[in-house]
Amino acid sequence: MTKTTEEDVAFIRALAAILKECDLTEVEVTRDYGDDDELKVKLSRAMPAAAAVSMPQPAPQLATSAAPAPAPEPRAAVPAPPQDRSDAVTSPMVGTAYLSPEPGAAPFVQIGDTVTEGQTVLIIEAMKTMNQIPASRSGKVTQILVANAEPVEFGAALMIIE
Amino acid sequence: MFRKILIANRGEIALRINRAAKEIGIQTVAIHSTADAEAMHVRLADESVCVGPPSSAQSYLNQPAIVTACEITGADAVHPGYGFLSENAGFAQMIEEHGLTFIGPRPEHIRTMGDKIAAKETMLRLGVPCVPGSDGSVATAEDAAKAAQEIGFPVLVKAAAGGGGRGMKLARTPADLSTAWSAARAEAEAAFGDGSVYLERYLDRPRHIEIQVVGDGEGKAVHLGERDCSLQRRHQKVLEEAPSAVLPAKERARIGETCATAMAEMGYRGVGTVEFLYEDGEFFFIEMNTRLQVEHPVTEMVYGVDLVAEQIGIASGRGLSLDQATLTPRGHAVECRINAERLPDFAPCPGMVTAYHAPGGLGVRMDSALYGGYRVPPYYDSLIGKLIVHGADRAGCLMRLQRALGELVVDGIDTTVPLFHALLDDQAFLDGAYDIHWLEEWLADRPA
Repeated sequence: MTKTTEEDVAFIRALAAILKECDLTEVEVTRDYGDDDELKVKLSRAMPAAAAVSMPQPAPQLATSAAPAPAPEPRAAVPAPPQDRSDAVTSPMVGTAYLSPEPGAAPFVQIGDTVTEGQTVLIIEAMKTMNQIPASRSGKVTQILVANAEPVEFGAALMIIE
Repeated sequence: MFRKILIANRGEIALRINRAAKEIGIQTVAIHSTADAEAMHVRLADESVCVGPPSSAQSYLNQPAIVTACEITGADAVHPGYGFLSENAGFAQMIEEHGLTFIGPRPEHIRTMGDKIAAKETMLRLGVPCVPGSDGSVATAEDAAKAAQEIGFPVLVKAAAGGGGRGMKLARTPADLSTAWSAARAEAEAAFGDGSVYLERYLDRPRHIEIQVVGDGEGKAVHLGERDCSLQRRHQKVLEEAPSAVLPAKERARIGETCATAMAEMGYRGVGTVEFLYEDGEFFFIEMNTRLQVEHPVTEMVYGVDLVAEQIGIASGRGLSLDQATLTPRGHAVECRINAERLPDFAPCPGMVTAYHAPGGLGVRMDSALYGGYRVPPYYDSLIGKLIVHGADRAGCLMRLQRALGELVVDGIDTTVPLFHALLDDQAFLDGAYDIHWLEEWLADRPA
């Protein structure tokens, strides 16, 4: 049944409140009151202006600027490591990554190797302690994202196992 | 001087330290949790290291991760800020054992002042006034009467094994004492199985007044007057000001000298704060904070001194650059702690800051890590900014505060800003007539 103008206005107001409260950019709703009797509402708004404002850039992350540079370059040119990929092995701690069990020894794994879940794929040294990092899943190593003896942050992607 | 300082903190204080380091020409390393990857302290530092997940225990309190972050970035000193690891003697020691410099006091001084009993004993020995009390427990009513005579009324009879207000009785006059003594004993016996009680002077309506000290660790120390932090809610400071409305200049000089002499004798290194309760012209030591305080800008505004730069200078071995003879307070300063909390119940209110505008102009300083589009994370404390205002005198300072509060915009989340507008509308606050209980009573009396 068709609503009164006041009721429609109240409904739109409620939608606008939801839009703001939930921080959405767009809401679209269709209310079916009967045959050929419906209310269609589409509300949208611009994203907060902040996104467009010029901001100080994040400080260079370790993963992309290992060498302590006196005047760090903006990191825009460096591709971000794929931390968010579900097939990435990520670092559980801050430390230094080692790809082989000891200097001069063969690396734990190489690109193209097949690994099983739990197998040690590299070592992270923190506080003079060597921590063995296991493969998070079984599969094929397709990318190794750190160099030997390179510092890594918590959560940094170390390798991809597909 | 240091080449690179790692800032083991977040939020406004991380920015504060970053600013001081930059002005000396020292590089900075920010540490952060995964929740703070977009935080302003990460953006402003030269380098950053993610040290752990959102929980403080695994990130900002993660000592091995922080030491490792120093190693991989080549930082040669650590500034702990306030909170987190700033008063952790073990952390200070670990930093030094790794051949790095902890920008703060010696670990043993942190340890001594962190222990309530050891701190009080040390202060008494150094001539700093403490709350008078009986030495040990009083066994008979006669002993209690004698001890109370020396301490002065009103006295509190407290259970030696007590806590949480149990086994605690107040005697306002000598006539009340024997009743209070036996009641406290009986209650202590029932509650703790130990009836021994001791006496302590009871303070009715004290103010919280603290003295800023700075020592070089080699036997030289100065004081930078007081801050009045009596406006508190649940033992959390809400607004601080200097000078105190109730402290005459002569008393300031006297308590300041007492503290500075004590610090010199101790060989205290770096900045620290000696906290007192103040009532009827008498000071009573509560505790000492062996770190930079949240409210340090109040002192900086009144004395024109950069306390963080001074900390860095002392830690680097350059020595104390301050001279008591030239330290003169000028004008009046007030700090408002702005929290992401919803009034009237002060419920934490994290979320997206849709717009932020900091007030400015002469005598106005806003220490904050906010920006428009920043999301206040729910994992850490709710302080989002400090508005510090300086004026020629208290009245001028409060007028300027009102003006500055009017310019401040924090949209998207609730803040405690309305509380300060309301305070500026209250005659007792304008008169400076408040003690440590005043704010809670004032809040309780207000219509919701």
